[in-house]
Amino acid sequence: MTPPVRSGYRVVVIGAGIVGLFTAYHLARAGAGPVLVVDRGYLSSGASGRNGGGVRQQWETRATVRLARESVAAYRRFGREFGYNVWFRQGGYLFLAETPAELERLAAVHTVVASEGLDSRVLDRAGVARLVPGIAPGAAIGGTYLPTDGTLYPFPAVWGVYEAARSLGVEVALGVSVSGISRSDGRVSGVLTSEGPVAAPTVVNAAGGWSGEIARLAGLAVPNVATRHEILATEPLKPFLDPMVVRASDGLYFSQTMRGEIVGGLTVPHPTGTGSGVPSSIAFLTAMARALAGVVPRLGALGVLRAWSGFYDDTPDGFPVIGEDPRLPGFVHANGFGGHGFMLAPATSRRVAAAVLGEATDLDPALFSPARFSTAAPPRAAERLQLG
Amino acid sequence: MTDGPARRFTYDGWPGVARPGETLAAALAHDGFPILERSVRYHRPRAPFCGVGQCTGCLVRVNGRPNVRACRYVPRDGDAASTEIAWPSGRFDLLGVLDLVFPNGLDTLHGFRRPAWATRTYQRVVRRLAGYGTAPDDAAAAALAAPGETRSVEVAVIGAGTSGRAAAARLVAAGLRPLVLDRALEAPALPGTDRLGATTVAFLPPPEADGRFALVAVAEPARGLLVSARAVVVATGAYDAGLLFGSNDRPGIVTCDGARALTGADGRVPFERAIVVGGGARAQEAVERWGSAVAAVVAPGEIPPELVRAASDRGIRLYPRSLVLAANGRRRVHSLELKVRGGGARFTLACDAVVLAHRRLPNAPLLFQAGARMHWRAGGGAYFPETDADQATSVPGLYAVGPVAGVEPASSAASGERAADRIAGGGPSAEPLARVAATGVPELEGYYRELLRAPRLGRWIACACEDVHFREVEEAHARGFRGIEVVKRYTSLGTGLCQGRYCVPDALLLLSLLEGRPAPEVGYLTQRPPTFPAPIAALAALPPPARPPEAA
Repeated sequence: MTPPVRSGYRVVVIGAGIVGLFTAYHLARAGAGPVLVVDRGYLSSGASGRNGGGVRQQWETRATVRLARESVAAYRRFGREFGYNVWFRQGGYLFLAETPAELERLAAVHTVVASEGLDSRVLDRAGVARLVPGIAPGAAIGGTYLPTDGTLYPFPAVWGVYEAARSLGVEVALGVSVSGISRSDGRVSGVLTSEGPVAAPTVVNAAGGWSGEIARLAGLAVPNVATRHEILATEPLKPFLDPMVVRASDGLYFSQTMRGEIVGGLTVPHPTGTGSGVPSSIAFLTAMARALAGVVPRLGALGVLRAWSGFYDDTPDGFPVIGEDPRLPGFVHANGFGGHGFMLAPATSRRVAAAVLGEATDLDPALFSPARFSTAAPPRAAERLQLG
Repeated sequence: MTDGPARRFTYDGWPGVARPGETLAAALAHDGFPILERSVRYHRPRAPFCGVGQCTGCLVRVNGRPNVRACRYVPRDGDAASTEIAWPSGRFDLLGVLDLVFPNGLDTLHGFRRPAWATRTYQRVVRRLAGYGTAPDDAAAAALAAPGETRSVEVAVIGAGTSGRAAAARLVAAGLRPLVLDRALEAPALPGTDRLGATTVAFLPPPEADGRFALVAVAEPARGLLVSARAVVVATGAYDAGLLFGSNDRPGIVTCDGARALTGADGRVPFERAIVVGGGARAQEAVERWGSAVAAVVAPGEIPPELVRAASDRGIRLYPRSLVLAANGRRRVHSLELKVRGGGARFTLACDAVVLAHRRLPNAPLLFQAGARMHWRAGGGAYFPETDADQATSVPGLYAVGPVAGVEPASSAASGERAADRIAGGGPSAEPLARVAATGVPELEGYYRELLRAPRLGRWIACACEDVHFREVEEAHARGFRGIEVVKRYTSLGTGLCQGRYCVPDALLLLSLLEGRPAPEVGYLTQRPPTFPAPIAALAALPPPARPPEAA
């Protein structure tokens, strides 16, 4: 446990995951003043240490494609900027279609992605088979593929941003929980922590799966829902699979990491909320095994090494929530990433920091602003490609 | 399994013979310690180490299936086995040069970042160095496919050692028919029970809403089994720990269990003058079993009179209060560098094997998984389950008996019987059974404090599965990363195929020294399922659950 040193800060960021740390880093670089990041767990204990490491630019909406493209560029530079090698390997993302209707939907995504200048491709059955050695004949009729998507090793990204933020003077208090958000004169005035009260005119909610709970501590109703997703990793093998493979019908995704493990997940319904902790289930292990052996039968002879789970922070329209809450000045959202926080953090955190400093951002408020849920009108768009 | 004709197989194309009852590892140990494996990063030579199917010292490819543990595989006629990570062979591997060229290891966390244009090349090379075997053959996967099985029982007993057998017998006496699941390859019948041998329980989640347990087991080689049970008795015993010193991963360095596993059907062991490390009951067992092939006993602390007697009867030299600094020898250990504790003299002792028998660790992953409250016992240097006088854990219906519960060996059977009595409806016992090392100063803590100040010789391999040098653990500490969970993610220590069994216990003691706080504050690693690599084919064959998971 590392308690806060000062009694007051310019900004308190709740959550020391990749989003919170990146935000604190950008704030410190902009000379925002004293910044504190608090997290009740250890470094990488949340979704930033539990994700599958995928970084893709294939999205249904241009706004997300652009943020993702910027993040890809950032992760390509990461090693030279932050001193840690995240092994961002651009082996591509391959979406599998099992039916003509799915292929049609993926082709529509391809049109959006390609129109943003990215090298997206629509593949036939043979094209898919070339990318996935040993794929079962009936596993896909085709798919879409973007070779510049990729996977990275999440931990060094956390270490790198953590060290960079700290070297700029950011304090990171680990093992410290937040029990309340204090207000005065209708705006945020600080947070109550397990180590005592801390004053701050701005609080950033970057608590991932717990961000709904943090918002409620501030008296704000938000639509964020924590959903638990499970992952498994197999015994490591010599490299044989380059792309991240994703199947739309059941949310199956898997890739081979730099270490050689097949790492992947599949959506198994669980009760929502963070109350049940992060266990693994027999239902997931068996369903995932069936899915893997169904797509690539030879994987049947491979052992599952470990399984774990973590929380997605889902929003109704699939877009993250970024910006100051109009109901509570000083309370800034950086959450609702729906399992894609790691891949979008480099681009979005820069804009969160700008929002904290009162600068304008290029984010469309109709898609990203916290105010979008308070209007009676249905959301203008949705980002439904919530996979991998 | 001990009769019938010998089996003829090939290993890297060379003919081999397994006598009846011999595993592939024992068969290959006829002529000494076989180098079956090279390590993932630096291609260091490795030979069988643990003997109980937990470490990565004997992984081989058999008939197109990767990562088969030779110590748990009984060859059949015509089997084709081969080395996985070596070129051209395990014994002579040209890539072994990596270990010589990079004495401090490859820094994959900070290195290989510049220049930008070399990124793809770096990735190709480093990716090639990672990973154990190559992808399985389709035929191997097809051959493994077997229908899954579901069973519903009153009581499941996991482990058929002294305490597990005692529990099973008592349950039978009470009119129950327990299902006994045991990893041992040979499984003599236990009257009145359903006993499954060669069956590993891979996953035991906390009980479901109705209080019943669902557990996943895998019978060799890949038959999935889903068991529903009202009560579960965990009798998974203990295993011999590893030890940190220079070149501690050299072929010829084995645990006591490992030495047993390499014993041939004719009783021969692949050594003639071993050094036994340890000063307790386990070391005594080793001396009594292999006396004529033991040259010396080296103990971290004092040596008790019984062991002194047993050793001197056999002409074995004794070295109490000694630090093991390093092993010498590349393809096989040929001597140990030692130092008398308390600033004493340094000396070298010749040997042809090192048998680690200095401490036993509870085999507790299933108890962690099931959500049993665990507590750190300093004297045992490990986490043990909290149990009442009847061995009931904090999870209703879950019992821990025998060594995994930290019960004294003499009370092992009694602990199983008490659990059985409670399950069968008997009244609670008043007095708890005697526990191993419930108090007292842990021997290894002072040992490691002294070792950290002693001269560093050779590479200290903190995690053999992932080839992590202890230097990397120290670097993580120096950079301000704290706690075992973070150090694990920083260094990869504990993320390999042994699931941290051989590195985490000692890493906890060492981090406790580095961080200056008690081991329980350094934490423990979440025991992620499965407890052993479970074949995807076996899991895939299990039926989907009857109702949605955790429908609350």
